[in-house]
Amino acid sequence: MYKIADEEIIPRRWYNIVPDLPEPLSPPRDHDPEKSSIDLLNKILPKEILRQEFTSSRYEDIPDEVIEQYLQIGRPTPLVRAVNLERILGFRGKIFFKNEGATATGSHKINTALPQAYYARKEGVEEVVTETGAGQWGTATALAATLNNIRSTIFMVRVSYEQKPLRKKIIKLYGGNTYASPSNLTEYGRKVLAKDPGHPGTLGIAISEAVQYALEKGYKYMMGSVENTVITHQSIIGQETRRQLEFMGESADTLIGCVGGGSNFSGFSFPFVESETEMIATAASEVPKFSKGDYKYDLIDTAGIMPELKMFSLGSDFVPPSIYAGGLRYHGAAPALSLLIREGRIKTEEVTEEKSMEAMGIFARTQGIVPAPESSHAIATVIDYCKNPENQGKTVVFNLSGHGLLDLSIIRD
Amino acid sequence: MKLALYFTFPYPNRESFIRFFHGSLNHKYDYLELGIPTEFPYYDGPIIRKTHKSAGENYSENLLRETVKEAISKKRKVYTLVYYNHFKKDRKDFLQNLKSMGFSGAIVPDLLTDFFPERFELVDAMNEEGLSLIPFFTSSTPDKIIRDVTGRTDDWIYHGLQPSTGIRVPVSTDLMVNRIRSLCPEREIIFGFGINGPEIIHELKASGADGIAVGSSLIPSMETDDMDSFHREIHMLEEGVYGE
Ligand SMILES: Cc1ncc(COP(=O)(O)O)c(C=O)c1O
Repeated sequence: MYKIADEEIIPRRWYNIVPDLPEPLSPPRDHDPEKSSIDLLNKILPKEILRQEFTSSRYEDIPDEVIEQYLQIGRPTPLVRAVNLERILGFRGKIFFKNEGATATGSHKINTALPQAYYARKEGVEEVVTETGAGQWGTATALAATLNNIRSTIFMVRVSYEQKPLRKKIIKLYGGNTYASPSNLTEYGRKVLAKDPGHPGTLGIAISEAVQYALEKGYKYMMGSVENTVITHQSIIGQETRRQLEFMGESADTLIGCVGGGSNFSGFSFPFVESETEMIATAASEVPKFSKGDYKYDLIDTAGIMPELKMFSLGSDFVPPSIYAGGLRYHGAAPALSLLIREGRIKTEEVTEEKSMEAMGIFARTQGIVPAPESSHAIATVIDYCKNPENQGKTVVFNLSGHGLLDLSIIRD
Repeated sequence: MKLALYFTFPYPNRESFIRFFHGSLNHKYDYLELGIPTEFPYYDGPIIRKTHKSAGENYSENLLRETVKEAISKKRKVYTLVYYNHFKKDRKDFLQNLKSMGFSGAIVPDLLTDFFPERFELVDAMNEEGLSLIPFFTSSTPDKIIRDVTGRTDDWIYHGLQPSTGIRVPVSTDLMVNRIRSLCPEREIIFGFGINGPEIIHELKASGADGIAVGSSLIPSMETDDMDSFHREIHMLEEGVYGE
């Protein structure tokens, strides 16, 4: 088979699902009726990002500079047929995986970090601020900032900060600053620390700190997941996958991916939403947002600075147990994804840590790639799916949202 | 273009409301929108949200009836902006009451998002009483919903420019107007939510909007009881809408 030019695979536009949803998305809501947190977004987000958040356009042109950067960091990412995995499962069908782990930073997060940093720089901002749990988003932010010649500050959930020194090193190598959250740098961080000096931190607290810090310093905040703009940027995954399947003469019966805030899954699956393709979103059993969460308006950050969104949520004060898949330890899921799940268009599964670790091993031994603990949840669902006699003969495509090489240090032998 | 003026009824209190309402009648405008106060007007921005409290405390149905009557006698069409919770019980009575007061129809800002399954039931119930539902769309309303709801209603359409009132996030006006226009080419489309100056009015006019609805920008002068600034504000709107 000939190698298709990368430029033919990379789409020139991002896809925004909002105009194609079966029901209107409920708009963001203020948590504090006296204030406007939507107005606050004007202060912390680049204008272009905010415009994309509320746009009615189905497509957004990707700036040429961003396309160039996408090519530099390894896009398009490979779509690989997992023949070895098929064999070991005895699956009479096809399994493909989209390898987002093949990007420079090792996950899909760079897909939205690049445009967000690009728009921030275009508006003359010197520094971007964000939070990170597992470290993947912080790494992507640091690289995207550097490639756009701006600085980055990253509030890293304290447990990760302590358990994942390699992440800090990479971020530093890219020129970013990391702080353990809760920190003394923000009012909210100080408040949390006053109550519990040894607080291990949560993603919700780190988001609150990053937003407060950006506000105070006049910097821009980078959004890692959940928000619509992020999902739109991540549509590059699904659009590439569609084209790659087309070139291979294949079509997907089923798409599978993992869900933290919902960005990799949504970006991967939404470009297929108008087709008949079955879609399965896998969350962690320890963070059972789909089976035990409510579909309701809820905070996305613990401090309640950002507007509330309507989504499946376990409550913004839910403190998830510490699992390896730090990226899945989030109480909510993107509104458009939540809506499609509630409508029944997208099915859900929940996978335990134990099962995901088993899946990690099977995938490493068959395909040679160490999957991220988050992505291992998707693989566990793939394995179950392919073992089901009813699914023989189908073509399953899953999103390998990242590699797990940097997570291995925390995993017990 | 047409001009619609929004007031939360009766903000800030009965006596001042009457004065400002009479003041407004000295100006040219087409539609009067009266917001019925509600406990948690969550789709309104902070400025209008604040008005619901004192309006709620001063609410009087008789005064509402008189206000509508007077507006109609001055050739204004009158609509109400009302949250769905008002329809939850005794819907028929509530609708009949609106009709008897002289309202032409209602805008229900949370209907399509939070009470989506009930949308056509409400449209039918309103039609039965001779009231029109004014569909409230935003840039987040999916194409299919716009087509469906447009197909079941026949009065004008209210399109929110912004995610809530009195707020300005960046939007491409042209794109937004073209999109809604292409989805409902035959209908009158009035834009509201966050309109607060000549620039945006001009932009909307140039994009082919049929009209604008304004609320938040009238409130500061009502809050400070400044009739002169109230007149200046409406005058600016009149010039923008009806001027060259
Ligand atoms: C590799 C990887 N996969 C998945 C996720 C979950 O996030 P999302 O659901 O937004 O894709 C993360 C988040 O940190 C991640 O690092």
